[in-house]
Formats: sequence, C-alpha cells, structure tokens
Amino acid sequence: MKIKVVSRVLEANERIAEENRKLLKDKGVFVLNLMSAPGAGKTSLLIKTIELLKSRVAIGVIEGDITGTEDAERIGALRVPVVQINTGGACHLDANMINTVLQELPLDQIRLLFIENVGNLVCPAEFNVGEDMKVMILSVTEGEDKPLKYPLMFQESQVLLINKIDLLPYLDIDIERLVKNSLKVNPQLKIFTVSCKSGEGLSQWTDFLLSKINPV
Amino acid sequence: MHELSIAHNIIEIAISECKKAGYSKINSISIRIGRASGVMTDALLFAFDIAKKDSIAENAVLKYEETPVKGRCRECGTDSTVDDTIFVCCPSCGSYQFELLSGRELDIIEIDVE
Repeated sequence: MKIKVVSRVLEANERIAEENRKLLKDKGVFVLNLMSAPGAGKTSLLIKTIELLKSRVAIGVIEGDITGTEDAERIGALRVPVVQINTGGACHLDANMINTVLQELPLDQIRLLFIENVGNLVCPAEFNVGEDMKVMILSVTEGEDKPLKYPLMFQESQVLLINKIDLLPYLDIDIERLVKNSLKVNPQLKIFTVSCKSGEGLSQWTDFLLSKINPV
Repeated sequence: MHELSIAHNIIEIAISECKKAGYSKINSISIRIGRASGVMTDALLFAFDIAKKDSIAENAVLKYEETPVKGRCRECGTDSTVDDTIFVCCPSCGSYQFELLSGRELDIIEIDVE
C-alpha cells in the first residue's frame, strides 16, 4: 500500500522555530542567533556586548556547545541570565533545543536574547531557531576567501562582524577583498569591523543593536 | 554533517503517516533530495540504516531521487540549471543574485506500508 506524503523533512524544525518566534515576540524579546566557526570570537563578542549594553537593556543568553559549561560560566560571571545547552555531539542548535530551555529564562524581563550557536561554519546556517536576526562572526585570521568557500552562512545572515582587526598589522589578509567577497554572496549583508580585544568598532555594533530593539 | 538527525526526522514523519493511515509496517520511504540541499546522499543512507533500528521501519528501504539545481538570475533574467551545488551563481552572466527555484528541497514524497 502506497501513501502519498509530500512533507518537508525539516518542517518540524520550522514549525517549532515559528512557535519560538511567536512566544518571544509576545514577550517583546529581540533574538539574535550568533554563528561562526570555532574560535572566531562569539563568546568574546558576547562578553564585550553585554558589558557595553547591560546597564541599558536587559540581556539573556543561551549558550550552545557540544559539551562543557565554560562559556556559560564566563557569561554568568557578568550576572546576566544564561542557560547552557550541550548538544552531545550535534553540530548545530535546532529549534526544539531552544524551545526546551526558553522556560528557564526570565523572558518577562529580557529584551535582548543572544543565542550562541555551536562553533561551525556550515550546519547552524541551515536551522532556524526562531531568531529575529542571524549574525555571523568571521575573524581576520580565517582569510578573505571564506565567503566563497562557505557561502550559505554569509547568505543566511543579516549581519557580519569581522573580528580581531587588531591583528591586521601581522596578517596578509586583504580586508577589502573579504568585504567584497562577502557582499558578492550577499549584497544585503550589514558589515561591522571590530576588535573585541581593543574595543574598536564595538560601539557601532551596539548602537546598531539598540536601534533594532528600540526602532525610531 | 547532520545526516543522522535528518534520518531520524524522515523516519519519525514516515512512522506518524503510517500509523495515521492505520498500518503497522513500513516497506519503503521515497524522498526527494535537492542537489544543493547540503545533504550527502551516502551519509544519509548510512544514517538511515542506523536510525530505523527497533522501529516499524526497521526493514524499510530509503529510495531517493535527486533534483537538479535550477534558478533565475535577478540581474540578467535568465533561467538556468547549474552544476555547482554549493556556490550557486548565474551561468550566463556570473551574477550571484541567482534566485533558486529548485535544488534545496528535502521532501518525503511517498511511503510504502502494510
């Protein structure tokens, strides 16, 4: 007996992502999905961003890692609500993982929620989790060819933060070419160049975030 | 990279459809994989055989058809089928403003049950 199905395999994830989005929108929470390769500086950027914004806006964090709680402890030290998800091997966060931890956060108080995805330049881009905005970080040590080699994350993101620009004097990277390559695969991409070490460029980024939470 | 969770999703959907129709065994599941979906067919077939164990789909075969990557260029307006499955641009003018019309799907189309 044959049964016609015609169902998208990832439909379940999309459905839950939509549920998350609705719940968070009702609570008035603006949600960012932070993605990058391992070591590009997601957690450092989060820490800097929290330090700059926490007196002005209530922030919450969901930390995604394959294993361990180091990142959640670093964030928790800043006294913002944080939940750690250990994916136990999975290479990305999915909507259901987010759904199961949302109740652990004081959503009535939070205005800005950061979801730090698992460090991976490929898979996280394929799974919506209910975010308002996908933000990716690329560090200058990764090279100007990455948009051309891993285009999907660049295409899915609305914002690209080029991090570690304090290292530029020591590297051969052509940052103009990196920007050009990024815009080639996604002309709508909003790009910030920052250094979490020196603090350069971070205020432009946090101003942008504030404008998103409190649209004029 | 996440073929195992995709295999679990496929089996979950198939089992639910099978039960909904009042049957208790799945013989085969037919899916459509877009060539630009990012799914590696070999890895998916491997993961499927692991994921189906101890379920009503344990003897099921995964049948698949691949769909080509087709799109329309927003700059020159040409419709094309492209070979590149990762980095898709317009073969006529080279623009990356190439809107995909097909090639990223990952759909279950039919299950065979008894």
